Amino acid sequence: MRSRSLLGRMTTLPSRLGQRLGLLDHIPDGLPPGASPPRHTFRWDLDKTYLRTEFDSLADLARSAVETAADKQAYPGATSLLRALRQDGHRICIVSGSPTQMRQVLAAKLALDGIAYDEFVLKNNLKNLLRGRFRSLRAQIPYKLPAMLQSRIGAAATAETLFGDDAEADAIIYCLYADLIAGRVSLQDLERVLTASRAYDDDAVRILDLARRVPQHDAVNRLFIHLDRRSAPVGFMHYGPRLVPVFNYFQAALVLYSDRVLSARQVIFVALEMLDSGQFELGHLATSVQDVIRRGRITREVALQLSAEANDAAQSGALSGRSDLPPFEQIAEAFRARIRELGPSDPAPVEPASPLDYVRLVDEEHEHRRTRRRHGH
Amino acid sequence: MTGMHRIVVDAMGGDHAPEDIVHGAAEASLALTSAEIILVGDAAELGRLLPRMRHDGARVRVHHAPTWVEMDEKPAEALAAKPEASIVIAADLVARGDGDALVSAGNTGASVLACARRWTLLQGVRRAALAAVYPTELRRGEKDDPFSLILDVGATIDATAEDLVGFAVMGSAYAKLVSQNRRPRVALLSNGTEAGKGPPSVVAAHAALVETTELNFIGNIEGLDIPRGVADVVVTSGFVGNVVLKMLEGVSETVVRLARYAHKERLAWRLGLLALSSAIDQLKSITDWQQYGGAPLLGFTHPFIKAHGRSNAHAVTNAIKVAHKALAGNLCGNIARTMAELDERSSRRPRMTSASESGASEARASESDASEPGAT
Repeated sequence: MRSRSLLGRMTTLPSRLGQRLGLLDHIPDGLPPGASPPRHTFRWDLDKTYLRTEFDSLADLARSAVETAADKQAYPGATSLLRALRQDGHRICIVSGSPTQMRQVLAAKLALDGIAYDEFVLKNNLKNLLRGRFRSLRAQIPYKLPAMLQSRIGAAATAETLFGDDAEADAIIYCLYADLIAGRVSLQDLERVLTASRAYDDDAVRILDLARRVPQHDAVNRLFIHLDRRSAPVGFMHYGPRLVPVFNYFQAALVLYSDRVLSARQVIFVALEMLDSGQFELGHLATSVQDVIRRGRITREVALQLSAEANDAAQSGALSGRSDLPPFEQIAEAFRARIRELGPSDPAPVEPASPLDYVRLVDEEHEHRRTRRRHGH
Repeated sequence: MTGMHRIVVDAMGGDHAPEDIVHGAAEASLALTSAEIILVGDAAELGRLLPRMRHDGARVRVHHAPTWVEMDEKPAEALAAKPEASIVIAADLVARGDGDALVSAGNTGASVLACARRWTLLQGVRRAALAAVYPTELRRGEKDDPFSLILDVGATIDATAEDLVGFAVMGSAYAKLVSQNRRPRVALLSNGTEAGKGPPSVVAAHAALVETTELNFIGNIEGLDIPRGVADVVVTSGFVGNVVLKMLEGVSETVVRLARYAHKERLAWRLGLLALSSAIDQLKSITDWQQYGGAPLLGFTHPFIKAHGRSNAHAVTNAIKVAHKALAGNLCGNIARTMAELDERSSRRPRMTSASESGASEARASESDASEPGAT
């Protein structure tokens, strides 16, 4: 979000107006000439990942469309996590399936939450409608995959972390993107996946072109799937250890601490936001720690190390002014007790993923979506 | 953990444990947002099962227990041999304040014994009582509940008049809360409806219930009145209650066997049963004990819901919901308050005396293993 001169703003006015109306696509700016590439890019979905959005029925959709920025609610901890990730010059890119007409209200919501971002791409469904491309209205892969590839072409980071949810095909799209930029998926295989995902021919050609041009590097080492539908975590096991299904953002923060992306202090801030939401108590956070250990996503040692480092952070003022909380040592002991409750046996580590058959995954996702529609979900 | 009800579940107890117990707990974690569920059992096994089910990972936790009591083990012997059995650890968690209520589908005798040894009785309660539910003709309460409550069905062998009055108070409080029945009809089980019928303890209890309580006491009922649903709460001693419960279960099973026989024997009978099938299905759904979840052990400072040993996931979820309801409605607090009021009223009248009182066994049935209480 760089500041622009008046002349610059005037010259880009027609295109911005076109994007606002949904007649033109919003193409991310990428990096300015001469800028060094980002070290780490964090890509976020919005609905059901950052924002608590209900669009399971037409009434939900209508309600979501008329909500103001102040009405929209972020998931507890997501705002603190996004703010923490933005620190250290990391790049935040948002790719959402919401229509472009929602840009103003969504941007206002992010501004209200104090979330700064580098890219914000929304789905141009008006264009899809005007062109009679009804399949594209619901299609996720032919929309999100090129948006992410385009973004990476504009600013290729050495590391990427992706955040999505279990409502749509985020796990498939993110893994496909990760394997594509790592060179693990060939263009022929990609073409087959695009056919399976019922992409229109010209979209498929464009995506294949982007895939040819995207800077290749095994950059995506962590993907988070927010279990908004409370899906069974085992359903994501075949994606391997890099994909972590999380019930809440404290769990995501714990894994990012384990990955050395977040500090103990930043994890504390995520926890505090969750407690302040009134939807979580300290016991829930302790249970969340136990859950990620039990699922083999962090080790006991990492959790105990976090406890020690968080103690230092607490003593240096991370909890100052929080007279509503018990002394930190008491909190830490409750967390350690929750870990001890697991007994002596360690959980089995998550097996490395075997190569994913994306065509089969896409077919299964389509079938799953049809079943959900039949059952009115 | 303000406002959060912590429900401890013996994950290893029951015919379908641990799969169905974990499944039921997982479902309950989605349905009850103000509850935390603590699954006690083999952590490795529970950790393998839980991720296979939809649940809320911030609201279900695991507490390791290395062993468990099998359904057919002798309660006292099993608890002595397995001090770290899941039911023992589960009862301990509640006793030391790390949980608020207990749910188990495991060995009834062992469950009752584990609670009796670790938990304290509510002030004013002399004996705990194990309740059971039984489907009846009549519906009751705001929920149109077809089940009546019978207690005690085996936590004690004998009961004094004071014990029977206590059981009546506890059963009424439970029916009020769980069946949402504002004025549950309470009755003493006897061999005649007249006030003077029955053993001395029943006669004395009858008088005390009339004179000292504000319960909706309808007097004595006979065994045939139980399935009719004449009373919402049927009060009796553990010995009689256990015999009655087993007999009712036996009759029910015999009816089903006779229907199967009729189905095989003649085409006309088969056609008749076929014509009735939708009505039978309807009846089954009305009287499905799995909808009820479980029955309580009443009298302790914490609720214990004993789910049927054959409980599937749905029944376990409902048992957890019943425990949650008992906590949310402060069942134990209500019982304690009523018992205190009763105590005050009793102190103003001559003390109840009965022949049975002097000879009443002080030992709990489950302590002595003389009875295998059969809840639900």
